Amino acid sequence: MTLATILPTPPRFPRLLLPATPARDPLSLDEAQARGAFASLRKAVTELRPGGVIDVLTESGMRGRGGGGMPIGAKWQACASTAADRRYVVVNAYQADPAVLTDRVLLEANPYAVIEGAAIAAFAVGAAEVLVALRAEATETIRIVEKAIAAARDAGFVGDDILGTGLEIRFSVRPLQGSYMLGEETVLLKGLEGRRGQPEQQPPYTTTSGLFGVPTLIHAPQTFAAVPTIVAGGIAGFPETDPRTFAGTILVQVSGAVAKPGIAEIPFGVTLREVLDVVGGVPAPHKLKALLVGGPSGGILPPEALGVGFDHDALEAAGAQVGSGSIVILDQGACVVDLAAVLTRFCADEACGKTIPCRIGLRRLSEIGARICEGQPRGDEVARLTDLAADVSASALCDHERRATLALVSVVRYFRDELDAHIVRNTCPAGICHPKAEARVGAV
Amino acid sequence: MTFVPGLGIAKGMALTMRRFFAPKATIQYPETRPDVAVRFRGRLQLLYDELGNVKCETCFQCAQACPVECIDMGGFDTKGRFHVHWGAAEQYAERREGSALRRSGRPVPDPAYEHFGAVDLAPVDGILRKYDYEQNAMLDILESIQGVYGYLPVAALKRVSDVSGAPYALIYGTASYYRHLHFEKPGRSVAVCLCTACVLAGAGRIETTLARELGAELGRGPSAAGVSLTRLPAHIPGGHSPLVTLDGQPQTIGHSGVAAWARALAGRTVA
Repeated sequence: MTLATILPTPPRFPRLLLPATPARDPLSLDEAQARGAFASLRKAVTELRPGGVIDVLTESGMRGRGGGGMPIGAKWQACASTAADRRYVVVNAYQADPAVLTDRVLLEANPYAVIEGAAIAAFAVGAAEVLVALRAEATETIRIVEKAIAAARDAGFVGDDILGTGLEIRFSVRPLQGSYMLGEETVLLKGLEGRRGQPEQQPPYTTTSGLFGVPTLIHAPQTFAAVPTIVAGGIAGFPETDPRTFAGTILVQVSGAVAKPGIAEIPFGVTLREVLDVVGGVPAPHKLKALLVGGPSGGILPPEALGVGFDHDALEAAGAQVGSGSIVILDQGACVVDLAAVLTRFCADEACGKTIPCRIGLRRLSEIGARICEGQPRGDEVARLTDLAADVSASALCDHERRATLALVSVVRYFRDELDAHIVRNTCPAGICHPKAEARVGAV
Repeated sequence: MTFVPGLGIAKGMALTMRRFFAPKATIQYPETRPDVAVRFRGRLQLLYDELGNVKCETCFQCAQACPVECIDMGGFDTKGRFHVHWGAAEQYAERREGSALRRSGRPVPDPAYEHFGAVDLAPVDGILRKYDYEQNAMLDILESIQGVYGYLPVAALKRVSDVSGAPYALIYGTASYYRHLHFEKPGRSVAVCLCTACVLAGAGRIETTLARELGAELGRGPSAAGVSLTRLPAHIPGGHSPLVTLDGQPQTIGHSGVAAWARALAGRTVA
């Protein structure tokens, strides 16, 4: 069964992660090689050598596809230059957001790109071991990745003796489950160590002291999948884009009130309106009311924000985040206050409990949200909410805590009318929250 | 003594000047460390809030940090589960009553002890051998143990700690953190998906209704009726929204029917 529909994109959008025409058999190594797979690994090993690979990536200005958006050249340099007798490369395919399947789709449609990228990374930083961390529930993806690794090993691209150089890069798949927080990189490393999953103070960064205390390079599969293209063409790998601002493409999953929900590969920096065009817009009787960008800890943006570019900085400024690459379109039937309250409750329940502002502050925030939705707000609710949210994100240890307040804060910022309708007039314009529902029951 | 104007000030200033030139007791911790006995560990003290409740949340962080593993605790952990039990429970307020009963030889009517029963530990030893007593593979070890018993018996965790040398607090920390590991014998399990699509379809309100009608709180083990309420880690591909599962099987219930469905499941007649 296919996980999700892969949507066609306009020809001006480059396709770097998912093949433009789907492979007949994504597991066929011959077919993948015919499309150029493992040519970049050969170039990296025989021509560029580790220093050259890192130079090419630094020059490309590419940023990580995970929530953080770190420049990857600097990360690789830090990992390679830290003295250590062993290093790890970790592919973070855990994908915590319960609604998003982009990494799984990528690994199933183009497994060799991720394997090749991770192998190039391991070669560049001098790691002999690559761990692919996946959700234990994704059994089909695990099966495909294991088969792809075995095929690449048999062909000599990974394993004990890569491309006849005597270098060793071993791959292993590590299924994990049981916590939303495993999507955060330091938590994932704790999970791989078999420990309680709580984030660590950074610095020291994972690139200098990561898994079992040794330098560890950790990226999302989309980041690794883009590496072969960059190595193959240098900066010209992205001919249609300015490398310093765009640096490639990202997979987004669009759902909600749209004509064609699914996964699309879009270049960084295209506007949200262009993304909405890819999914066919909002079908006729419905009207666009808001966009939830970035998953459960994302921000809720108004229709006026359709001109915002989909990249880390622009979304951050607008009060949302790239996050899991999830975009949910809300129509008039949805209540943004209810949505923000439930998302905050979700984030509070999933918090690991390490930092107090997160453990208790998010709980209080979700209580404020619930009070507003139930029609029992106290005085100064908005001021208290804004204040507390600022404190929580200012004292954050990890990105979950830093962004968990985005939903409520963006509602205060963009949907003040609707919030005031709940607080002051005790009504829900969308007719979802408790006060309105009760009024309706009384009327019948 | 007759009143001498300024004598009080002089006395006070004399004390001030004596202390001023005396050696200072303050040290710049942590740059300089006080000179204490080798085995000195300070005194453990639990703090109380303004309402008189113990502030301790039984998070086990201090137990994990304790270099000599002398800290242990009993009571409710942060997720409200009660079986946090190890060591001398009477040190901590929550279990004083039970401890008094136990010391006086009377039976302790406490559901917390149900999961402390003796189990056959041979499989645990086999699992530990298989993983070569490796503390770094603790998650795999715990998953294997749960695979054998269906849950994590306290006796088994104790055995893992004894044999592998990993501190119990560390094992407990791992076991209690991950949602798929549980300490109770499994009953029926209701799970709600809270992905963004399901939230938009009203999963948040369904979750609230289920918690109320089942008498089970999210992630806190089975209710009195033996039904536990959890969250789906990910939306099942192709599943409708809002998605509710019973023992892993998707259910077709809407907003209107969810309360009656939950009441029937909890064994209560429909009101």
